[in-house]
Amino acid sequence: MGPLYKLGWFDFAYGLQMAGLIGFLFGFVLERAGFGNVRKLTAIFYLRDFAVLKVMFTAIVVCMLGLLYFSVFGWIDLGLVYLLPTYIWPQIVGGLILGVGFIMGGYCPTTSIVATVSGKLDGLIFIVGMIIGSFIFAEIFPLLEGFYSAGDMGAVRLSDVLSLNSGIIALLVCLMAVGTYWFVEKVENKFGDRDTLPGGSKRMKASAAAILILLGLILAIVNPDRIAANRPSPQIQTQKKTEEIQKPTTKTEKPSSSKFEIVEDEGC
Amino acid sequence: MNHRYTNPYVIGTLLGLVMLFSFYTMGRGVGSSATFARVATAGIDLVAPEHAKTNAYFSKYLSGGRSPLMAWLVFLSLGAGLGGLFSAFIANRVKGEVARGPSIGVSARLWLAMGGGILSGFAARLARGCTSGQALTGASELAFGSWIFMFSIFAGAYATAYFFRKEWL
Repeated sequence: MGPLYKLGWFDFAYGLQMAGLIGFLFGFVLERAGFGNVRKLTAIFYLRDFAVLKVMFTAIVVCMLGLLYFSVFGWIDLGLVYLLPTYIWPQIVGGLILGVGFIMGGYCPTTSIVATVSGKLDGLIFIVGMIIGSFIFAEIFPLLEGFYSAGDMGAVRLSDVLSLNSGIIALLVCLMAVGTYWFVEKVENKFGDRDTLPGGSKRMKASAAAILILLGLILAIVNPDRIAANRPSPQIQTQKKTEEIQKPTTKTEKPSSSKFEIVEDEGC
Repeated sequence: MNHRYTNPYVIGTLLGLVMLFSFYTMGRGVGSSATFARVATAGIDLVAPEHAKTNAYFSKYLSGGRSPLMAWLVFLSLGAGLGGLFSAFIANRVKGEVARGPSIGVSARLWLAMGGGILSGFAARLARGCTSGQALTGASELAFGSWIFMFSIFAGAYATAYFFRKEWL
């Protein structure tokens, strides 16, 4: 049962190595998609190439389905996965400013790293800008403190806000993704350069869409929230497990086991 | 230059699986923007340690008794750099240049990159995350604020894209 780190399978230092591995895969797939190329990234905002949106939505849908199915099968305790809290006003304003920064600078934070290692000087300058921007934020933080915590709703999910179960939300997200793919492909075929746009057979896309909707539909019927809630007291189970695993390490090497606590647990 | 990029749906699926792996093993998703805040913190801590400790925001990265750079996202960003380099290298896409549209000069492009970076660095701190740490990670967990944040990014960029068209087209 996951998440492994929270259940004491590895310590902080091992976690950093995992971060390096996950980062490597992350950077690798982003570069494969062409996200080190600034004109490919910004083409979405001129309706010519929606690769950014396709990658983001597909990653979200795949990961969402994976998390919910893992939860249904009892492979992961979603209660132990860090959920980003909602502070609605700074998130709206931050999103809008980040969008302007994206179109002005051409990158978002991770893609600027990929561009920089591909030899793009503008990517490096963008990174320098981000360091300066973070510095400015910290310096004027006392002025922003009130706004920074405005609209605090806690760690809420779409299912809490819309009072629907996660399975139905998942189905809606799948339907929205398929609808969005269909729409943006129409748009990019109209405005974009067909030679550089990705191909792919109609039949394959239709079957992929059908599978996606089917997976969402199963979740909507199964209702993962109910299954997770009905599982016999997962909290106690996990605590026991943590103790079991932690105990031997406490005996063998004291200093590393004292480092086990999760020091910083923010999203980005 | 090799322009054959992998199909975005394939990439999206792989990226989703990488995120799922991250959630399963570490109980958290990917991200990167805090790396730059941590680099800023480490720099200030080096030049003016007292100032860094008294600043309400920097000090949060200095707690825990280790260097602000010994953190999950810093290592994730380093890994992303290596992974990106590896992919660019095998596709023969590593080339020193200033990437820009055909109708903008080098210095104007670099100033705009700086400006965009400053806005992004600031915004990512305000929103507690960026496109990956907040939008991708949060949205796949169905976090309410992350979905709102993601739509806000697209709204902000589409609303102002017209003014930057000479930079890209």
